Amino acid sequence: MPSAVPRHEHDIPSADSGVTKFTNCLLVSGTELVKEDLWISSVTGKILNGQEILYGHRTAPGRIVDLGGRILSPGLIDVQLNGAYGFDFSVIPNEGTTAYGKGVLRLNSKLITTGVTSYLPTLTSQRAEVYQKALPFLGPSGKTRDASYGSESLGAHCEGPFLSPTKNGIHNASVLRTAPNGISDLASCYGPANLESPSPIKLITLAPELPGALSSIQSLAAAGIITSIGHSEASYEEAKLGVKAGATMITHLFNAMKPLHHRNPGIFGLLGTASSSIAKPFFGIIADGIHLHPTSIKIAWNAHPDGLVLVTDAMRLAGMPDGTYDWTNGSRIVKAGALLTLEENGKIAGSSIELVECVTNFLNWTGSSVPEALKAVTETPAKMLGVQDVKGTLREGADADLVVLDLQEGAVGGERKLVVDQVWKFGTKIFESAQGAK
Amino acid sequence: MRLIIRDDAPSASKYIADYIIGAYARSLHIISIPANGNIQERINTFNPTAERPLVLGLPTGSSPVLIYQHLVQRHKKGDISFRNVVTFNMDEYVGIPREHPESYHSFMYKHFFSHVDVKPDNIHILNGNASDLEAECHQYEEKIKQVGGIELFLGGIGPDGHIAFNEPGSSLKSRTRVKTLAYDTIIANSRFFGNDLAQVPRMALTVGVQTILDAREVVIIITGAHKALALQKCIEGGLNHMWTLSSLQLHPHPLIVIDEDATLELQVKTVKYFKSIEMVATELGFRQMLPRKRDSLVDDQFPLAPVPQMNGLQLAIPQKEISRSASPLLEPMSARISEKAARLLQSFDTLDDPQLTPMSARVAT
Repeated sequence: MPSAVPRHEHDIPSADSGVTKFTNCLLVSGTELVKEDLWISSVTGKILNGQEILYGHRTAPGRIVDLGGRILSPGLIDVQLNGAYGFDFSVIPNEGTTAYGKGVLRLNSKLITTGVTSYLPTLTSQRAEVYQKALPFLGPSGKTRDASYGSESLGAHCEGPFLSPTKNGIHNASVLRTAPNGISDLASCYGPANLESPSPIKLITLAPELPGALSSIQSLAAAGIITSIGHSEASYEEAKLGVKAGATMITHLFNAMKPLHHRNPGIFGLLGTASSSIAKPFFGIIADGIHLHPTSIKIAWNAHPDGLVLVTDAMRLAGMPDGTYDWTNGSRIVKAGALLTLEENGKIAGSSIELVECVTNFLNWTGSSVPEALKAVTETPAKMLGVQDVKGTLREGADADLVVLDLQEGAVGGERKLVVDQVWKFGTKIFESAQGAK
Repeated sequence: MRLIIRDDAPSASKYIADYIIGAYARSLHIISIPANGNIQERINTFNPTAERPLVLGLPTGSSPVLIYQHLVQRHKKGDISFRNVVTFNMDEYVGIPREHPESYHSFMYKHFFSHVDVKPDNIHILNGNASDLEAECHQYEEKIKQVGGIELFLGGIGPDGHIAFNEPGSSLKSRTRVKTLAYDTIIANSRFFGNDLAQVPRMALTVGVQTILDAREVVIIITGAHKALALQKCIEGGLNHMWTLSSLQLHPHPLIVIDEDATLELQVKTVKYFKSIEMVATELGFRQMLPRKRDSLVDDQFPLAPVPQMNGLQLAIPQKEISRSASPLLEPMSARISEKAARLLQSFDTLDDPQLTPMSARVAT
């Protein structure tokens, strides 16, 4: 087992160039794991071209990290995280927005230990004032490139409130609304300033069949905000119009939408679209074993392997003891193990899974290779967000957000399991598990 | 000329890697001792080569890849360090970017420099994009001189016997210079450039034949049947600028390590002769290393474990202490004669000379 290999970190006593070289590791490169070294800079926080550093700058690595044959992957990206560690992005605490801001920072510093180096803080459907208070704290947070802030927000994901009232899931139907006047209705909900560039919002989930939705999608695309189709009664044709208007993503495919029917394939039908007519959208998948049957995941992956994005849809009860908890808008949630349900109607209410566990599930359910599974939490979400040059990749010039993963094979019945051993943010090691430090 | 024949390319490559590590152990800053190793002393604290580093000449190409792999492995195991090693590469294409995957900069980075601790400032590779190529070549020679010359030049050859980019017809006295590639070489290298002849650089910078011959030791790896003819021309043929490796015949300490495939064109006699040399040397407990190197280097104290040869050749040889000195101690011939024989000889000595009588005495009167 790789974990049994002794690992050395020899510091060369030369002047520290801030250059770290990872060696004896398997790099995620496309659909393969390759035995190569990776050079990063703790000064710029970016991935370096080792050859250029050696020949051009005549610099040797100041530190060599021997990973003992473990996997080195770009840091994981979660595009749908509602909260965790008792903090909920959709709840402004009674103490006010200052406490909210502190809560976000606390969450960021804990979240990074799970290997998630960047994410979209996600707001469920709320009243307008919640968006207007919360969004200023949820915008992109990586400008300072300070690793000590932990996980980085790439912008907020507003899941609602322009959703179908019949596919509300656990969103409170009373706050759902439509946008007959297009973008101006969106502006009055989220706050006009929050739709102006640079916007704190990165992604908006909406139902394309609602009045004004298509024109809103067009306006959002023009403003550089990505639209995702979800919580929707859309037929295949309606969903296709949404994609033509500019939507590029489907929020938690299969959940909160019409199921596939052979005469009306619904939103899922977009994955069967011939690529010449419209581009197949990306799609989120909650691989927690509760929201979806493994076979459904495999069907979706086979239909569009380059579009699958694993998300947790985790909410603030992740990691909390079992029991009944207050939720937003007067609802209550029952937590029983990993299963979260709404007290009043027993609907599934988000998950409490970690993203790396979703990757492990995906590996075992689909029989994919490790790099294929990791792609669904690195390269693919980065492409969906249009940040593929700086996140989710090990190419030169990208941010040195990295996770060291230990692949534990054959634990139970030949199952594979990925464990986060180390997390690096902007070229600095932020976390090392007890097992990884051995 | 030392010619070492191994069964296949991997074992030939391993031989060279072990040879370099063994012969230059002190310069390579042996960090720890392999479990089965013969190295008795840890050379850890005292570092005699900080001011006088080991200067290596290095090749690119398919043959040396395995040698680099061995050296990298030994480095990663913590056996050796290249901190006090200065390197000079043989050649580089003209006019392709340094980052080009087929540039020799990329090759060396990928196969060697990115894995070991050679100091970046100690790495020298000709710059094929220099504004003044001639000056670049001249400076290269100067740099080699400044570090005191190259201790060991490692090399391979092309199927036409070229060493570095010294194509057939190159002067055997040549120095580092711009060289136009032979058509053969362009065709051979086109496989690295999408089989498009137009993409293959037409020119290269290369060290000269004389630059290589100036090294105190030259070690050449030749593997594969396609190089058998070149090997034959270079060691059985005469000195000839059409086979530039043949210039090695003028070098005081060349070592060529080959695999069985490369012997295909050689005379059986040649192969047997070189095998017998190695066999005798191995059985007597020493290897074919230089008797004494410059003072920074240790004596031959790391004999390689003899490798059993599949097509071995046994020679009956006397089990006798043999001096390795080049000129045997000469004794008077009489020292070899046993006492008994000596006594017999002496009795002859004591006999009086026969009485010479005049011829006339024999005539009957």
